[in-house]
Amino acid sequence: MATQSATPPPNPTDEKPQNPASDVGQPTLQNSEDAKAEGIKEMSKPSVFVNSEPMREDQVQNAVKFLSHPKVRGSPVMYRRSFLERKGLTKEEIDEAFRRVPDPPPTISPTQPAIASQDGQLTSSSNIPPPAPTQTMQPAAAAASAGPFSKVGTLARSRFHWSQAVLAVGLLAISGAGTAVLFKNSIVPRLKSWIRKVVLEEEEEDMKKTNAKPSLAEEAAAAAKSAAAAAADVARASQEMVISKNEEKRYFGELMNLLDAQVQEMKSMSTAIRKLEGQSSIPKQENSSVLVSNSSRPSYANGKADFDMRSGRPLSPPASVEPSSAPHPKSYMEIMAMVQRGEKPSNIREINDLPPNPNQPVSNPRLAPRPKPWEVGQAQNSSGSILQSQESRDGFTSKFQDNGVITQSNGDSSVPWWQQKNVRITEIENEDENKTGSSGVPTIDRPVQRSWVPPQPPPVAMPEAAAAIRQPKKPVYEREQLTDDQLLARPSEITEELERVTKISESGGLTNSNGGSSVLNSGEIQNEDENTYFDA
Amino acid sequence: MPVFKTPFNGYAVQFSPFYERRLAVATAQNFGILGNGRLHILDLSPSPASPLAELASYDTADGVYDLSWSESRDSLLAAAVADGSVRLYDAALPPSANPVRSLLEHSREAHSVDHNPLRRDSFLSSSWDDSIKLWTADRPASLRTFREHAYCVYSAVWSPRHADIFASASGDCTARVWDVREPGSTMIIAGHDFEILSCDWNKYDDCILATASVDKSIKVWDVRNYRVPVAVMNGHSYAVRKVKFSPHRGSLIASCSYDMTVCLWDYMVEDALVGRYDHHTEFAVGVDMSVLVEGLLASTGWDELVYVWQHGTDPRAP
Repeated sequence: MATQSATPPPNPTDEKPQNPASDVGQPTLQNSEDAKAEGIKEMSKPSVFVNSEPMREDQVQNAVKFLSHPKVRGSPVMYRRSFLERKGLTKEEIDEAFRRVPDPPPTISPTQPAIASQDGQLTSSSNIPPPAPTQTMQPAAAAASAGPFSKVGTLARSRFHWSQAVLAVGLLAISGAGTAVLFKNSIVPRLKSWIRKVVLEEEEEDMKKTNAKPSLAEEAAAAAKSAAAAAADVARASQEMVISKNEEKRYFGELMNLLDAQVQEMKSMSTAIRKLEGQSSIPKQENSSVLVSNSSRPSYANGKADFDMRSGRPLSPPASVEPSSAPHPKSYMEIMAMVQRGEKPSNIREINDLPPNPNQPVSNPRLAPRPKPWEVGQAQNSSGSILQSQESRDGFTSKFQDNGVITQSNGDSSVPWWQQKNVRITEIENEDENKTGSSGVPTIDRPVQRSWVPPQPPPVAMPEAAAAIRQPKKPVYEREQLTDDQLLARPSEITEELERVTKISESGGLTNSNGGSSVLNSGEIQNEDENTYFDA
Repeated sequence: MPVFKTPFNGYAVQFSPFYERRLAVATAQNFGILGNGRLHILDLSPSPASPLAELASYDTADGVYDLSWSESRDSLLAAAVADGSVRLYDAALPPSANPVRSLLEHSREAHSVDHNPLRRDSFLSSSWDDSIKLWTADRPASLRTFREHAYCVYSAVWSPRHADIFASASGDCTARVWDVREPGSTMIIAGHDFEILSCDWNKYDDCILATASVDKSIKVWDVRNYRVPVAVMNGHSYAVRKVKFSPHRGSLIASCSYDMTVCLWDYMVEDALVGRYDHHTEFAVGVDMSVLVEGLLASTGWDELVYVWQHGTDPRAP
């Protein structure tokens, strides 16, 4: 004969109310102790969700060393903080380190050549005293944070050698060709004309002079001609050099392309192998994996760079680089390429998705919030929730029994395969209930309040009603209907029933049979009487 | 097993906390890069013809990255949209009256929303603008903004047992524990060397938190001793996109990954991998375990399919 224990609704704080826990008294000692312990935890100053470690001096010293480094000095404060956080320092330790390293006055930085390169973009942000996180940190280029940066740096550097070599050779070839062309085009003709002029002049001179020196003139002419011929030869030779250089360049370029292709193939093969090892079975890898490794970068340094490239979305929808990149679908790469080019995919529609009425009142809830399975262990809503969820499964199990054994085999709907599981659950939960034997059922939850109202414990024992529930054919179907399709039509009915039954129960079960039958009519209320059954 | 084909690439799925048969799916066109979005509300109907029927769908101009059913109103849900707004939809109202609210404060894409199971009218949104905002459904402006992360915040999740505590996962490779009563985060868990994409609380042990990262691992942490993980679960071959603790079994975790599988883990057990489902043919991006029906799982991915199945069965079975 459980009496009705009036539990005041808890004050709207975050803590779970401890009063009902001790009031009800039914839950096992363990539960109440847990609740009390948690309550104490929450009540006492340091909650469990706070660092309780003392500051680690060695970490602070490391942080101070890091912050004193000239390169770090030039980076935005946000990045410095983020780096230290990633290294596992607590807020206090980071604050202490910042306190120990005085901020340099902004004008002194020019003495450090290392910062010069970064200064362009970062002085503005470092000048501003750091009220921790500000949006201005975002658009800055490569981060000063060592982790990903160094990795990316080494990667970049190693690649750099490769491309650097290529560039150097290319430059040499081009400059050689350029000078040859220049020589050929500008200097040689001039030389030729000059020689011709000289020859002409010489001839004229000869003409003016007596023919006493024809041999000389002839010799001079011959010499000039040979010189011209030599110059012509030189020009031809240089032309050939230019041509050969061009050819070499071409060959070199082709070689590079071939090498690239080979590298790509090797990469794709390695990803293929890795994929096979990882036991996945998807074919689209060849070009997509390569493209991914080129285009998608993870660490936020590069993510931001990508963002700057494209005004749209950065690739921070998490794509990985260091751990092998997940091969993106081919169409994904196509769309990325399109967006990078600035084109808009053609399937986008113009949609007006603004609220038609910004002050639209939200519809009232039709159902009471259902207690969660993990709240079962709490004293307040213990078996009530079990029962409430149990009855829903009861409904299904009974239906299952009604339909016979065949429901499992056919391929239709979801109902059969839900029930399979649920049968087991009800058994287990029955056991649990018997053990705890507690009571507490959520009856009504008054809609919309800031704090959560614990359920009222059920008062009265009504074995007859409980027995009546044991043959729940009709209410199950009704309940099925109600919750699935007809809620629009019958919301008020259920709440009315709830209220009515609650009142009945509270008043000590005057109308025994009535209570039972009204319970039968709305499935959600079955729990109450079942509950009371156990109470007795 | 019921399958639903969405027109756009799936991003998130969640069962309704009120109706066993109801779930919602958030989708975005063109893999969420650039395009429209759509929010579907689906019902598991008993009729064999259409095992997963669409009750309603709402179009958005930008992709929808995440959704969260309200804990106080059975027909209300919040959607995190790629234009930075959080929109509220009421399934009980006709589609022409939806959305009922559009809360635009984030300056970058909103990546996740989560309702508070204890303070049922409040919810969090996290965004690529590095901030987390606290809202209630009845107010047009956010109540609080939490700005500490140095990069995109991919997920913010309320603790199921403490109404003021929540955790966040960010691309700055840290996960943080926050208390709304405090001005800033109370704990920084620097547990991964790569971006942390998702986090979730253990429903049965209020000090246990799981994080999933681009480094393909899932780590389980105890906030009382947060420097060393309680468990490290490797097994995915690519980044783990989402992690969810089971509402029914304290040590069971569901995860979905870019390796196109949905895996179930028991972190208390030596060999943690309990189940693996490889029904998706593209990145598996969203997964959820039903609070009302034990063992019921749903997942969605970039292959534009939504699967609902019972743990232990084959999701692709007809």
